[in-house]
Amino acid sequence: MSDKIDLSIDFCGKKFKNPFLLSSSPVSNSAEMVAQSFEAGWAGVVFKTLNSDRIPIIHPSPRMHCINYGNKREIAVQNVEMISDRPLKHNLMDFLYLKKKYPDNILIASIMGFSVEEWSYLAKAAEDNGADMLELNFSCPHISVEGAGYKVGQAFHLIEQFTAAVKKSVTIPVIAKMTPNITDMNEPALFAKNGGADAISAINTVRGISGVGLDDWVPKPNVFGKSAISGTSGPAVKPIGLNFIATMAQCQELGLPLSGIGGIETWIDALEFIVLGSSTIQVTTGIMHYGYGIVEDMIEGLSDCMAERGIKRVSDLVGKAVPNLYETNQFDFARQGITQYDTDLCIGCGQCYTVCNDAAGQALEWDSANRLPRLNEDKCLSCMLCQFICPVPGLITYKEMPAEWQRQETAVMDKNLEKDLNYQPFIMDAPAA
Amino acid sequence: MSNIDNFKQMKKGIDLAQAMAEADRCLLCHDAPCSQNCPADTEPGVFIRKLRFKNITGAIRTIKQNNILGGACGVLCPTARLCEKACSARFKSSARPEGADRPIQIGKIQRFLIEHSWERDFKVFEKAEPRSEKVAIVGSGPAGLSCAAELAKDGYQATIFEAHPEPGGVLRYGVVSFRFDLNFLEKELADVKALGVQFKCNTPINGPEGAEKLLEEGYNAVFLAPGLWDAFSLKSENKNIDGLFSSVEYLEALRNGRLLEMENKVCGKTVAVIGGGSVAMDCIESAAELGAQDVYLIYRRSYLQMPAETEELNSAMQAGVHFMLLNQPVDYITDDADRIKGLQIMRTRLGEADDSGRRKPEIIPDSQWTLDADVVIEAIGNKAPDDSTQWWPHVKVDAKKLIKADPLTGLTSVQGIFAGGDIIRGPALVVNAVQDGKIAAKAIKAYLGKQEE
Ligand SMILES: Cc1cc2nc3c(=O)[nH]c(=O)nc-3n(C[C@H](O)[C@H](O)[C@H](O)COP(=O)(O)OP(=O)(O)OC[C@H]3O[C@@H](n4cnc5c(N)ncnc54)[C@H](O)[C@@H]3O)c2cc1C
Ligand SMILES: Cc1cc2nc3c(=O)[nH]c(=O)nc-3n(C[C@H](O)[C@H](O)[C@H](O)COP(=O)(O)O)c2cc1C
Ligand code: SF4
Ligand code: SF4
Ligand code: SF4
Repeated sequence: MSDKIDLSIDFCGKKFKNPFLLSSSPVSNSAEMVAQSFEAGWAGVVFKTLNSDRIPIIHPSPRMHCINYGNKREIAVQNVEMISDRPLKHNLMDFLYLKKKYPDNILIASIMGFSVEEWSYLAKAAEDNGADMLELNFSCPHISVEGAGYKVGQAFHLIEQFTAAVKKSVTIPVIAKMTPNITDMNEPALFAKNGGADAISAINTVRGISGVGLDDWVPKPNVFGKSAISGTSGPAVKPIGLNFIATMAQCQELGLPLSGIGGIETWIDALEFIVLGSSTIQVTTGIMHYGYGIVEDMIEGLSDCMAERGIKRVSDLVGKAVPNLYETNQFDFARQGITQYDTDLCIGCGQCYTVCNDAAGQALEWDSANRLPRLNEDKCLSCMLCQFICPVPGLITYKEMPAEWQRQETAVMDKNLEKDLNYQPFIMDAPAA
Repeated sequence: MSNIDNFKQMKKGIDLAQAMAEADRCLLCHDAPCSQNCPADTEPGVFIRKLRFKNITGAIRTIKQNNILGGACGVLCPTARLCEKACSARFKSSARPEGADRPIQIGKIQRFLIEHSWERDFKVFEKAEPRSEKVAIVGSGPAGLSCAAELAKDGYQATIFEAHPEPGGVLRYGVVSFRFDLNFLEKELADVKALGVQFKCNTPINGPEGAEKLLEEGYNAVFLAPGLWDAFSLKSENKNIDGLFSSVEYLEALRNGRLLEMENKVCGKTVAVIGGGSVAMDCIESAAELGAQDVYLIYRRSYLQMPAETEELNSAMQAGVHFMLLNQPVDYITDDADRIKGLQIMRTRLGEADDSGRRKPEIIPDSQWTLDADVVIEAIGNKAPDDSTQWWPHVKVDAKKLIKADPLTGLTSVQGIFAGGDIIRGPALVVNAVQDGKIAAKAIKAYLGKQEE
């Protein structure tokens, strides 16, 4: 690894030694755990969301279920876990311990209240016991009380009101954590900004159902015969997280630093969040699957990548890819291409033939004697489905075609049917004279 | 403790999670090459695909419908030269002809699915409407079982005549138990019995014209599948030497409640096995298991010419067998009481290729040596009994007394008499016998249909 690379980054005026944080969840439930994560290399933690002891918190049992895909386990996790079930005092004592033992690691307190008073109370308690920052949890997807959890995240004026109340109570920076269970995140983020938020983090978990028990028709997780639509996390939700981060990064009016969350496991996932606008990134499911050790590979991978490309600071990467996002109508439709096949590498599985035939342009013929696909270039749609499925990397590639090249039109089955056609071309009505 | 208590057990198969993991590696090939390379059209490309899409019952149905002995084949098929040889997951390409990856473990998946059907008591077949036509089947080995099952599925009355006390052929009295155990066989036989196939055991069809007379006795067609149960011998006049066995006698004894008797003969002794095929491997490995002090394999060609599967050869090596390659036994040494004392052996070298394409062993003059041995087992091939031609005098046979049958129908030179399995091919495989049974059953149905008109 290249030791010369400095991965540190400034986020809301605080210095993080790298952009990698634990997000608020079971992986950040106690100082004992967080201490281990710091030893492993994580720069900071968003501690498991505090509760004010107003009502006792009991986690349902069991509280999670996961989705496997083929040989791959846990491509998504669904949970019905509540906020911290520990007494507030214990969590705050753990804050004191962590700040004493790890002064250079950043401690972010996640809080969630049910009223202005409760939000202020928790914010103050956290600040008074060493929290470097706050994260306001506006986004727990299975807290079913109006005025709390993701219901706040959907009631924009409450976001502004609670953020403002917190900002009045403390001096440390405040992050608002958003729910993805809406169509447009920019709007609530702007409400948070109006309330005084210093940064936005996204995403919390996505409301979903990971499966249904076929013996009893109870969806998962099965909590003694009952289930609930609840939060989905992990690699499967990464595209959703990237969407919201990139959209907020594009919003000039917002202009706040972003902390990216959702399905991050590797340095590449993290880098994608960074180049789409995140200054820090947070992880839960990746740790629930592989443990804290994944941060070593995130650090080493990102450092080597930056060294190879001569990039000095992580901040130079933040938002790098955002200017390359356009609306689809701005594409250059005149430029077209097709696939090309290096059949020397072909192992003869024929999957390309199946998908091209059933889901694309019928551009392949199957040479069954040699077990090889034969491409009719003029019919290739450049959908790339064959490349996605081909088990041999590098066999199928994309190439641009010359400007004069024309793709063959999809054939009409029976041209004789034109005489039976019942059809008028669509003409836009001229505006009334 | 006796070695019998410790006698190696058949290895457990893979479980659902492992089978799913294998199915997940499968590339779901178009025009699946594994299916093309299965001699019995068991259609692995189809059943693995069904498993992959969690259609487990459908996967079981595919196997059982195509191959009534799908479990036995899953265990016993030399898959490395059949279905798995063609598997795309070996990642062979013209740029990388040696391939790089492991094939899908098709045999293991197949075995799992069949064992799974037993575990969850999933029945593929319903009893068919009975029909009046009766078919006699001679021999209850894989070929006979497959033909009978195929007929019974459509309601034909299939009766199997079996010389041995119990059905199964080589599966019961040949293959050693640690490769294929009785419990497994019984379950697979139960699937055949459930179809309504009748078994008449201890009933050899070996009188003069015995097989042909079945047609006169009210059977509308006959399927001959008696396999090959006479052993070749180096010196047939030596039949009565104490301690000299044919592989047929020796292996049958192991499966016939005479394990203890054989252990007494073999334990602590020196055993020499002559031959280089799969049967020889079964003999040497079981002798080692029974506690033989030294086991010698004596083979007249060299390692590469041995017909046994690589896996079997490795396993025999691991069992500590001494491979005496390029050695040709020429005579047995006995004491006054006609008990075996050892063998006289000549060294050989490889000459030109012979008809089988393998280089032919030539004896090196004056190279004779003696090997002391307490037990000698000849595993140099099986043949049809000399008098078998009298059981079916009008059925044309070749010089080796193998029945001549049309490969597309199994029909012999006599109308209404069909044949399949080792008796038409010479020593072959379970999966080939299954296919012969299927082909003949189809032809028999067509033949009976025509007869009715
Ligand atoms: C020791 C050994 C190990 C083998 N291992 C394998 C292996 O691992 N994998 C593999 O694929 N193949 C293996 N084979 C080969 C395979 O077993 C045979 O190819 C297959 O059994 C042939 O089936 P079949 O039905 O033609 O004959 P058989 O299985 O020989 O069955 C013939 C049946 O007919 C009965 N019979 C004979 N004569 C008469 C008569 N006159 N009247 C009534 N009944 C009669 C016999 O008792 C027997 O039950 C092995 C063979 C041997 C000998
Ligand atoms: C079991 C579980 C409990 C969680 N609890 C909290 C919580 O108390 N507060 C919070 O803000 N987010 C909570 N989250 C959401 C995570 O912090 C994170 O936003 C989400 O899981 C997406 O990131 P990931 O894909 O890396 O897991 C929880 C997630 C899981 C899986
Ligand atoms: S998918 Fe790839 S390896 Fe398979 S046949 Fe097509 S080109 Fe060859
Ligand atoms: S050849 Fe191999 S990869 Fe292809 S379908 Fe058969 S088992 Fe699957
Ligand atoms: S029957 Fe044998 S050869 Fe055929 S697919 Fe099954 S294991 Fe392979």
